[in-house]
Amino acid sequence: MSYLSLSNITKQFGDTVVVDNFNLDIAKGEFVSFLGPSGCGKTTTLRMVAGFEIPTSGRITLDGADITEKAPNQRNVGMIFQSYALFPNMTVAQNIGFGLSVRKESKEMIKQRVDEMIALINLEKHANKYPYQLSGGQQQRVSLARALAIQPQVLLLDEPLSALDAKIRVSLRAEIRAIQKKLGITAIFVTHDQEEALSISDRIVVMNTGLMEQVGTPFEIYNFPQTQFVANFVGSLNTANAEVSEPANGLVNVDGVQLITASDIKSRKKGDAIRVSIRPERFSFADNQKKDNVLDCTVENITFLGAVVRIQVKIGNAKFNMDTFNNPFLELPKIGSKQQVTCSKEAVLVLDE
Amino acid sequence: MSFLSRLRRFPFWSWVWFIVGALYFILPLLATFEFSLTWDPAIPFKAYQRSFEDKDFWETFIYSNVLALATILFSILLIVPTAYWIRLRLPEARRIVEFITLMPFVVPAIILVFGMIRIYSAPFNVPFTDIQIMQPLTNFKAGTNVLIISGYMVLAMPYMYRSVDTGMRTVDIRTLTEAAQSLGANWFVIISRIILPNIRSALLSGALLTFAIVVGEVTLASFLGVDAFGPYLFLLGQHRAYEPAALSFVSFLLTWLAMGLIQLVSGGQGQAAGAH
Amino acid sequence: MAQTTIKPVKSLAAPTNWKTWLGVVPFFLFAILFLFLPSLRLFTASFSSPDGSFTLDNIIQLVSEPFIVNAYKLSIQISAVTALGGGILGFLMAYSVTVGGLPKPLRSALITFSGVASNFAGVPLAFAFVATLGRQGFITHVLRDYLGINLYDAGFNLYSFAGLSLVYMYFQFPLMVLIMAPALDGLKNEWREAAENLGASTTQYWLKVALPVLLPSILGAMILLFGNAFGAYATAYALTGGRIGIVTIQIGAQIRGDVLYNPGLGYAMAIGMVFIMAISLAGYSWLQAKTERWLK
Repeated sequence: MSYLSLSNITKQFGDTVVVDNFNLDIAKGEFVSFLGPSGCGKTTTLRMVAGFEIPTSGRITLDGADITEKAPNQRNVGMIFQSYALFPNMTVAQNIGFGLSVRKESKEMIKQRVDEMIALINLEKHANKYPYQLSGGQQQRVSLARALAIQPQVLLLDEPLSALDAKIRVSLRAEIRAIQKKLGITAIFVTHDQEEALSISDRIVVMNTGLMEQVGTPFEIYNFPQTQFVANFVGSLNTANAEVSEPANGLVNVDGVQLITASDIKSRKKGDAIRVSIRPERFSFADNQKKDNVLDCTVENITFLGAVVRIQVKIGNAKFNMDTFNNPFLELPKIGSKQQVTCSKEAVLVLDE
Repeated sequence: MSFLSRLRRFPFWSWVWFIVGALYFILPLLATFEFSLTWDPAIPFKAYQRSFEDKDFWETFIYSNVLALATILFSILLIVPTAYWIRLRLPEARRIVEFITLMPFVVPAIILVFGMIRIYSAPFNVPFTDIQIMQPLTNFKAGTNVLIISGYMVLAMPYMYRSVDTGMRTVDIRTLTEAAQSLGANWFVIISRIILPNIRSALLSGALLTFAIVVGEVTLASFLGVDAFGPYLFLLGQHRAYEPAALSFVSFLLTWLAMGLIQLVSGGQGQAAGAH
Repeated sequence: MAQTTIKPVKSLAAPTNWKTWLGVVPFFLFAILFLFLPSLRLFTASFSSPDGSFTLDNIIQLVSEPFIVNAYKLSIQISAVTALGGGILGFLMAYSVTVGGLPKPLRSALITFSGVASNFAGVPLAFAFVATLGRQGFITHVLRDYLGINLYDAGFNLYSFAGLSLVYMYFQFPLMVLIMAPALDGLKNEWREAAENLGASTTQYWLKVALPVLLPSILGAMILLFGNAFGAYATAYALTGGRIGIVTIQIGAQIRGDVLYNPGLGYAMAIGMVFIMAISLAGYSWLQAKTERWLK
């Protein structure tokens, strides 16, 4: 049963279509991420849910009520901004209590709720400080508390972590997710960072140029990208042009090298041009295990990335990256040496155009 | 989008305030223009003709423009190096210099001019003797020019200093200077080819305001006895009716046009505040 | 002992020595010659009688002579009224072209126009208003002929307090526009959106967020406007020829000496003006410190 539903949403600014026929149903308590590059329409979609933009066409319903054209201050959805947007003239406590005080709640009620929220974000010591006295991470926690204080039906997060340091980004991400689960609140999280989206979400909506590319769990999005855009945008990926050689057996030809794929290509004809993708971590150097694809290659370059080592290899005329986990006893091949790499047929994905 | 939500976005009150203010701006100008045309219904621009035929008009008007240009030039020479030096080497002096540049707000023009007259109407002597080095500045033309330009520099100082300082802050002159130094530039090259071009629009806005302050200024010019455009208009206004109206209108229009042009040229960067 | 050994190292590490100060000598020299000495000279001159001897009479007259006290009162009133009126109108106009949602070209037009108008003073301004609101003025005629309102029968007079205030407003509110436009730009869009999102109405947003944030700028601008009107001389003189006895006009009369000639008294009055401006500036910085406690 969907709690928040966006149906046939289209948004135009002048002649530019920013969001094109967007459809999504979100269940109560679900954490959904909108993932995509800047300009893909993810923030505009979020702002339509908040009421800062009104769709050119389409409907938004929340808990059965049509809120498409409701004023933002009548909606009861909480929003968190990339720039925190804390009111500089108010203390932490006053910021958190703002939504309640404009609702003319009683002083005692506001105080109790503010204390509760401050405890939730662990800023008890800072209740009477002004925003400028806090670090970025602390400010964003206050902003989270401020949005939650009004007990919103939906929590909207517009790239809330983008302005923060890498370390804080990861810890605050976990904190947001924990609080969201604890309160069971429905949340939409906008980000351009795939790792963030993968780690925090129940479901991800990948968007590109106003269109939904794919909707699915992080597992599905990562392992079974349906379009080239998703495959490229989520995780790092090798893609190559290929030709169907035997549709019935799943054989394709990449630059003169035969690969077998588990993807269904029976509907294609021999000689059809297609694109295949293989994630770098699905390759490994030839070992004793029997693999579907065993390929001769030349090592071209080796890049040390910390936890993984990325090795660029040339198979036929096509270049591929392969990732292998780093460990102190790893023996790396010499650049220029001939090797064999393997991958399973499930690793070779055929992409929709 | 429904009609109601469109209506919610129409900035009704903004238009109201803007139009009220615009009327306040435009009506007096319009009335002045209208009045200047009523001298002789047969020759509508008679007031303008007569004004432009007057030799004194051209003399005072050009003189005021020259004074304005001189004020701008000397202000830049005084203020740019000072502001630059403070940003680069002497941040300790910032508070005191900022305080001084704000002083002209506290000391009105009329006070400044009487103070200057009191001091510089005395001859310059060798200390503790009666031997005169120079006659009083107020007694000869070059001397009064020094006084009035200095006075205008004081009046323009708050605006000039602020524009220049803001300009330097936005382009981060410290880094620019260090980059230029590391590439081997000397001080002259740094200031003339790096700093000045980069604070161009700030200089323009400061210069413009200085211009607007100086060209119609009356208090300093009349008490120092300088034949500038302000006192000329003042005198004209006591004897005539139509010519001053015509000249008021023209001078407003000219200044506005100049400002508009410069804002176009500088890409809309120029702005600051005005003075009396 | 430890300090003396450390000292030379310290002065090496911090190269700000007296030579660095040489860079600002021209500026200080200029300020002393053309700003401080003249002001100081007026200060000492206000203690001298017309014949040149030392006296406290001028200072005493400042607070005892009714026409002087009235001149100050009048100047303060007119400055306060026009600072407030011009401030409010200027704020609303600056609002309309910045966050008020009017088209962008109007903004640059208004800003350049304000740059000129804020310096449009003295004779041209007086003339413009005579042509507009004088007995034969444009608006006076329009109101009389089309709406049947006779301004002058209704008690209006351009050469009065109200009239002069209207004239002053012409350069007051553009100044407010110029100061407030950048300040209003500093209001972040997200603050309004956050407030709306938390359920605040537009009024609540302005009362609880925008105005408190802007308050220091507004107060500062109003003080500037006050000083701007307080020190104005040419406009009032051109308009009324000295019939409205504001302080600057009284000072001019004392020093130029057509009828009243007592330069010492004029100088004392001038010093009184500086004193009042200094107080209002001090009041401003005190208020600013109070309202800006949430700023860095």
